[in-house]
Amino acid sequence: MVLKHRWNGCNRKIGTVIEYYPKNKRMKITFHEVMPKPLAHLQHQSKSIWGAHFALETGEKIMLNATSGKGKTTFTHLLSGLRKDYNGTVFFDDHDISQFNPSDWSSWRRKKIAFVFQDLQLFPKLTVKENLELKNNLTHTFSEQTMRTMLEALEIEGKWDAPCEILSMGQQQRVAIIRALAQPFDWLIMDEPFSHLDKGNASRALELIDERCAELNAGFVLTSLGDQHEYDYDRELKL
Amino acid sequence: MLKKILFSYQNKTQLIVAMIGSFLGFTFLITSIHYLIRVNEFGRGEEILGNNTVIVQKKVSAYNSMSISKTDFSKSEIDNIKKQDFIASAEPIVSNSFGVSLQTDSDLVPYFRSDVFVQSMDPSFTKINAEEWDWEEGDDFVPIVLPRDFLVMLNTFASAKGIPQVSDELAKSIDFKFTLYNDDKKKWEQVKIVGFTNEVSAILVPASFMKYGNNNFPTSTPSKITQLMMRVKEGKFGDFENFMDRRSLSSKESSMVVGKLKSVAGTLFSVLIGISVITVFLAGLVLVQYAQLIISKNAYEIQTLLRIGYAPKTITMALTKYFVVVFAIITGLSILVFAIGKYFIDDLLVQGGIHIDSTFTFMSFAAVILAFIIYTLVNYWNARKGVLKT
Repeated sequence: MVLKHRWNGCNRKIGTVIEYYPKNKRMKITFHEVMPKPLAHLQHQSKSIWGAHFALETGEKIMLNATSGKGKTTFTHLLSGLRKDYNGTVFFDDHDISQFNPSDWSSWRRKKIAFVFQDLQLFPKLTVKENLELKNNLTHTFSEQTMRTMLEALEIEGKWDAPCEILSMGQQQRVAIIRALAQPFDWLIMDEPFSHLDKGNASRALELIDERCAELNAGFVLTSLGDQHEYDYDRELKL
Repeated sequence: MLKKILFSYQNKTQLIVAMIGSFLGFTFLITSIHYLIRVNEFGRGEEILGNNTVIVQKKVSAYNSMSISKTDFSKSEIDNIKKQDFIASAEPIVSNSFGVSLQTDSDLVPYFRSDVFVQSMDPSFTKINAEEWDWEEGDDFVPIVLPRDFLVMLNTFASAKGIPQVSDELAKSIDFKFTLYNDDKKKWEQVKIVGFTNEVSAILVPASFMKYGNNNFPTSTPSKITQLMMRVKEGKFGDFENFMDRRSLSSKESSMVVGKLKSVAGTLFSVLIGISVITVFLAGLVLVQYAQLIISKNAYEIQTLLRIGYAPKTITMALTKYFVVVFAIITGLSILVFAIGKYFIDDLLVQGGIHIDSTFTFMSFAAVILAFIIYTLVNYWNARKGVLKT
């Protein structure tokens, strides 16, 4: 379904169609010969997703495994609309994401696709509670008790009232993961979310993510420097 | 929560300086517009002559007395005066060349009779109702405007006779009578006072009555134009006064004083309005700059809010609302200070003998509300642009 919408004085197709999505329909992401411009000069392996035609099918659990500099963060930023310097086309179902305006993006990010960014994007002055509420107040997803339980599951329940700036990177990563889960989504895109977590904490975090994805019938993409985190992924993508 | 993220950790010095600047600008703006309007209204409705209207005559000197120079105006002199760029209009005042006397015709006042001098002027110079200020032969009475000095004289006479004095309103209900005459004939006409004047020394009559008298009761002495009625352009009384000095013209001082006072005060308030507008503009710029500073300092926060799903409109509105409150405080304070200041200023003016309308003027409020709306709109566009750019 494509609507006509007025933006900056001109009519054009936009992607704010989320309100019209059938409740149980889950979004598919399709890459059509996408090549980030800064990576165009590099020699990519034959199985690389860059320049290929492929799709992230509904509900898939995907690992994106690559060494540094191959474009893992570029992949995340491209799907979040932060980067537009690429050739080819990315579709959310049949919507070309290059046509989305800032308001469209805010709707998609709020309702269909969640992110754990590598730099976490927390508010350092705000407490853990405030960081989580800032997102949850927007989406009305969890009760305070649920969020406390999730913190407990990741063993940081004592940090509820602590400002994020005094937390360790590992603790901040866990807060960012819970924040990302505090919304409805079809896809959860995570950029090295466990880079500062020990094996046990990473495993518990992945378990929480898996549980939430199952609840929503959603898929996720997890970028990693090679560590599988002892999880049975549906598919592994190469860069 | 958005307010806490965007505004809690800001240095507010620049905001306070800009708020003080805006407050002063708004206060001066509302005050100067209010008093400019009131100054321009000053004197209206009190006199029968229109605004900025004066009567001028030539200065009488020893030369006039010796008939070396004339006190009447020639046609070319009148035409020359009309050409001056500070004169809006100028017309001669017509005097009677027939004999005329005024007498009381009422039991309310003692009998009183005096030869009088009557004049008529172009109706465009007066504020008398055109329907009242008309006369045709056969009408029940002739409407007249009486010099207030004449009423004072009448009251002096009444007082000497031990009779109660006559107020303006009572005088209007008393019947008077004109006797028009020349060497051959005389006629009586009933007279009614329709107004009083401090500015004209003769009794004013409608032009049609003057024409009737001059045509039907001619005397051997033709009437001369010794006085001119002039309307001076707004704020040009300085030029007009210089012209009068150069041409040895004189005018009744009171009407000149009001005109000059209005010119000077009007110019001062206009300058103050200009300064206020510049102040409001500059303070507005500082506030916009502060808003831009907030946006650029919060680039990370705005970016993060957008990334977790906040709509640009929500963030823009949070920024706008904050400044709307700031602008509302500025506007409210300036109106409050103006209202308090106005109470004292009006009191000072009354003590100085200047009675102006003490009610608030709509335009002055409209000006600050307009400034408030402009501030809000500029701030909204600025915030929207800043958020979308982040």
